Amino acid sequence: MSYDRAITVFSPDGHLFQVDYAQEAVKKGSTAVGVRGKNVVVLGVEKKSVAKLQDDRTVRKICSLDNHVFMAFAGLTADARIIVNRARVECQSHRLTVEDPATVEYITRYISSIKQRYTQSNGRRPFGISSLIVGFDFDGTPHLYQTDPSGTYHAWKANAIGRSAKTVREFLEKNYKEEDMESDTDTIKLAIRALLEVVQSGGKNIELAIMKRDESMKILVQEEIEEYVTAIETEKEKAEKQKKKT
Amino acid sequence: MATFFGEVLSVYSRAVEEDDDDLDAENEDEQIHREIEEKREVHIAWCTEVAQSLEGSGSNKLQCSDLIIAVGPNAAGFLSAYVLNTESWDAVGHASLWNERSRGSSRQSIAPLPGEPACLFYRHRDNPAVLVCQSTCYIAEDQLFQWTEKVFGCLQKRGLSVMVLSDSPVAEYKTPDYLYGSAVPFLRSLKSSASKSQALCPALEQPNILTGLPAAVLSHCQVHQIPAVLYQCYTDVISPDSITMETYKPVLLCLSKLVKLEPCLSADVLRKFAIITEAQSNLYT
Repeated sequence: MSYDRAITVFSPDGHLFQVDYAQEAVKKGSTAVGVRGKNVVVLGVEKKSVAKLQDDRTVRKICSLDNHVFMAFAGLTADARIIVNRARVECQSHRLTVEDPATVEYITRYISSIKQRYTQSNGRRPFGISSLIVGFDFDGTPHLYQTDPSGTYHAWKANAIGRSAKTVREFLEKNYKEEDMESDTDTIKLAIRALLEVVQSGGKNIELAIMKRDESMKILVQEEIEEYVTAIETEKEKAEKQKKKT
Repeated sequence: MATFFGEVLSVYSRAVEEDDDDLDAENEDEQIHREIEEKREVHIAWCTEVAQSLEGSGSNKLQCSDLIIAVGPNAAGFLSAYVLNTESWDAVGHASLWNERSRGSSRQSIAPLPGEPACLFYRHRDNPAVLVCQSTCYIAEDQLFQWTEKVFGCLQKRGLSVMVLSDSPVAEYKTPDYLYGSAVPFLRSLKSSASKSQALCPALEQPNILTGLPAAVLSHCQVHQIPAVLYQCYTDVISPDSITMETYKPVLLCLSKLVKLEPCLSADVLRKFAIITEAQSNLYT
């Protein structure tokens, strides 16, 4: 009997193959990286190349869920749309019921519960998306969470999902410095540097969204990203010259 | 026929043709079989120059020292980008065939249009003993033997050495270990016993097998003791893709000994050969 057809069937060695395969669908989406700084949270994504006649405003990987939470996803676009819609409704429902904005952890848990339910239902397939959810709680704490098709979620200091996630994660592990996170600029630069490792043709294929404490989400314009990219390249050249001298 | 009750029944045997009426049906069957065979025949059409040199040579065979066959869109794209893009290759022939998946050849004598799935032969101008074959059309199981016999029938066996590049989906790769995303695409090799050269990548592990045209070619080479090496690229992308094409790059080491190659290739050239499905496909973001 094939153990990878029906979602509700465990294989003899304990695998839920459909969930594993859903992770493969995530790897087909372009890279998204998230970094949690002390006073700013950053989400950067590799922009998908759009067809000539396509309006690129409809191909957004970064969606805001509420004034204080936003997320990026990788994987099946349609599945992401469903999750984002439900999360947005839940955020407002929470505000109306509890009269407080939802914490980032709450909305992440909500999204993960939906995803988990679909791994345990008859005749349904898992959601083929992973997401990075960032934001500030009302007490000012910044958060970055990652969810995956199995319905698990974890908090991260910096993480990546999508096509070249492994390469980006290794870069982040090597270059993440706790003291850099105090500076907004350095946090943003880390996200951009991580993306530049895997994105083809540099800054113009990067989209970046940041949120500072008590401010709303801001999507950086192309010029701002180019400024950061130039600064990064200058620093890189300086570092290489320094290396050659010693 | 004797039964358990002791009576004897006469039974008609299905093995013996008793009626003459069936002869017409038989003829009709034969005719249909013949028509199907003709339809599914594989035709190799060479250009006039090659056809003449074939007739001119006593044995009706081409001098060929190296035959490089690319099966599949990524293998063909790799050869197009790295090998055939220099101006020194001539298109010398094509194989035309019909089957349910490759309906191209109602026009056998006309060469296939560029971009159409086809089976094309190229020869190097400076070194005419080097032949390249790009096969992007589907060749049915019953046509594989014919294709191999007809193609190899045109080539001189002595001194011939064959290299096959073939694509395969990684879902067909059987391994006990989990394949991490970064490991794909990757190459595996298989050689005929006459091949003494060192393969450039690990050998294909059991229980993986080859199928289709690469298997037919390698089998032929094994039977006829022709040194042949096959490089199978396992990839997770359905359409031609530049990263998959780049996986074949180790092969350039062998090819550069035969013909002059483009020294350094920009990514743009590769992308030209990869279908731009990314922009059209909004399934994944």
